[in-house]
Amino acid sequence: MIIHVKNLLKRYGDLVALDHLSLDIKEGEIFGLLGPNGSGKSTAINCILSLLRFDKGEIEIFGKKMTPDAYESKRNIGIVMQNVAVFNELTVYENIDYFCGLYVHDKSERKRLVEEAIDFVELGNFKKFHPKKLSGGLLRRLNIACGIAHRPKLIILDEPTVAVDPQSRNKILEGIARLNEQGATIVYTSHYMEEVEQLCSRIAILDKGRVIASGTQEELKAMITLGEKITIEAFSINEHELQQLRELSGVLSVQWVEKRLVIKSGKKAGSLEAVLDFLKTHEIGFGRIYSELPTLNDVFLEITGKQLRD
Amino acid sequence: MPVFNVCLKIFRKNWLSVSIYVVIFLAIAILISATSVSDQPTTFAQKKARIAFIAEEQTPLVKGFRKELSRSTMIVALPDQSEKLQDALYFRQVTYILRIPKGFTENVLSGGNMRLEKTVVPNSIENTYVDLNVDQYWNLARLYATHEPGISQDGLVSRLKANLSGTTPVFMKTENAAKTSDSFSMFYFNFLAYTLSAVLIMGISTAMMVFRRRDLRMRHYCSPLKPTNITMQLLAANLLFAGASWAVLVGFCFLLDPKSIATINMLYFLINSLLFTGCIASLSYLISTVLKSLNAVSAVCNLITLGTCFISGVFVPQEFLNSTVLKIASFTPTYWYVQANTKIAKLTHFSWDHLAPSLYSMLIMLAFTGAFIAVALVIGRRQQATN
Repeated sequence: MIIHVKNLLKRYGDLVALDHLSLDIKEGEIFGLLGPNGSGKSTAINCILSLLRFDKGEIEIFGKKMTPDAYESKRNIGIVMQNVAVFNELTVYENIDYFCGLYVHDKSERKRLVEEAIDFVELGNFKKFHPKKLSGGLLRRLNIACGIAHRPKLIILDEPTVAVDPQSRNKILEGIARLNEQGATIVYTSHYMEEVEQLCSRIAILDKGRVIASGTQEELKAMITLGEKITIEAFSINEHELQQLRELSGVLSVQWVEKRLVIKSGKKAGSLEAVLDFLKTHEIGFGRIYSELPTLNDVFLEITGKQLRD
Repeated sequence: MPVFNVCLKIFRKNWLSVSIYVVIFLAIAILISATSVSDQPTTFAQKKARIAFIAEEQTPLVKGFRKELSRSTMIVALPDQSEKLQDALYFRQVTYILRIPKGFTENVLSGGNMRLEKTVVPNSIENTYVDLNVDQYWNLARLYATHEPGISQDGLVSRLKANLSGTTPVFMKTENAAKTSDSFSMFYFNFLAYTLSAVLIMGISTAMMVFRRRDLRMRHYCSPLKPTNITMQLLAANLLFAGASWAVLVGFCFLLDPKSIATINMLYFLINSLLFTGCIASLSYLISTVLKSLNAVSAVCNLITLGTCFISGVFVPQEFLNSTVLKIASFTPTYWYVQANTKIAKLTHFSWDHLAPSLYSMLIMLAFTGAFIAVALVIGRRQQATN
């Protein structure tokens, strides 16, 4: 295990921020910590990095107990904070060189690593720019370069794509996947389920400081009863017909919202065919049909009864 | 030493805002050095009064007197017109108007009235010398006339000349006597308080506030660098900056007034200013722990430097300041720095007894330094615990 967290308890007065949180992160994986704002993701990361004191529990990184003075472990960790942590007074190159210099003392080695990091985040044209001259997306990329330039074995990224445009977000996600391919273990926190779905090999969903579900995407989706979500543009339907639809085999729920039928069906129910037959039989006019597989949001919704982005 | 190097880079970035204070300081210093009297006498020389000599008779004795008087005074030629003479006195063209009345020589030789007419500027020291010379010449003339009856006026003049030609050597017993009192050096080192304060507060507070940014501090805690190591690197950079600022600013003093380096007083000026540098550096560190915004540094810097310098006697000598103002000022290190400077400037002997008052002021400055560091550490610890 690269990271082993057991029964972590962190309180802020009466508020329980982390409620006996346990995590095991294996070498070489991209581990996603998914949860709404305030679910305890950043608190967990800060405790793991010994930036925060916790009340109870144990944390091990690289098989060693993590403490504020575990400098050997820290040497192999790269951190990309939620807030961009760079010097406005230094250029892009100087910033990356500085943060790399906290880990790597050899000048020529550092120069090579800094150049690699700049290429990696594609900031070659902005080397001499000061952070204030960079767009939000470029700034985030600089933040990542500062965190990964020293080639750490473990990279922790705490919501690195907040307030980033879609193009930059894609570049960042591609970059993280490449880092993983190069051998780094990644811990990625986000409240964007699409990012976690796209990137992570294993996911833990956090709510109120607790892991409410963890596993691979498939394992998580297998936990819930929802198998398919069908959306049909229907022109008119009465309450009686809706009730009949709800009684079809495998259908879990039916909603009629803004001339759209939203039908949720169970696993392997094959409800789409039955629904279409029903519409034809009752001569209910319909337009486009969409079928979606369950998302992590559906998983979160079914387990907690609320939306991930609430 | 990445932290040390970046700290120096931040100092360099802020150099423009800091250099404004240096430029203003240098401009004023150059102006003062150009207008100040640089050559203070180290040997005794009698001061020559500027006098108007009006003689209503031209006897050989009066002519001899005029010649004798011109050795110790500067005789200014003025017409014998009451208004012009009064004007010359008023505008200090002369400080002494001496009138030899008609028949004066006869009176002297015959033992009559020896009254001369004089109009003088009051409380003028050099006029005392004129009075002494006048009395000496005519009293001696009467003495010769009384004891050598029948002596001619020319003979009398040559006797008097021979008699009065002797001089009395004067030796200054105290070498380097208070060379720096009211000198350029004292002005420079007093005014240095303003520039040094501004430069150090602007430089150190700004740089330290950058490193105190929460996100950067968190980032540093994640690195394998020990917090004590980071602190030591920052301390080293700050000390280097403070030391370099002190050296540059003091160096200008030697450029503008090279002779000042030769005095012992200068050594104590340097020690005093170095202690003040340490004190202000610690104050700058404290300011950086209290302030939340970088934009506030400039305002706080001006408030502290100008405020303390005004009430502590940097711009106006302390003797002209109200006692209540001085009492308030005594709670600032600048007051004690100026106090020490003033005392050092007046030093002629450098024994323990003479140095003690200056050292006392320096000790108080050291106490301020300790207090600033202690408060900064307490605040720093509290902030660390809060975060």
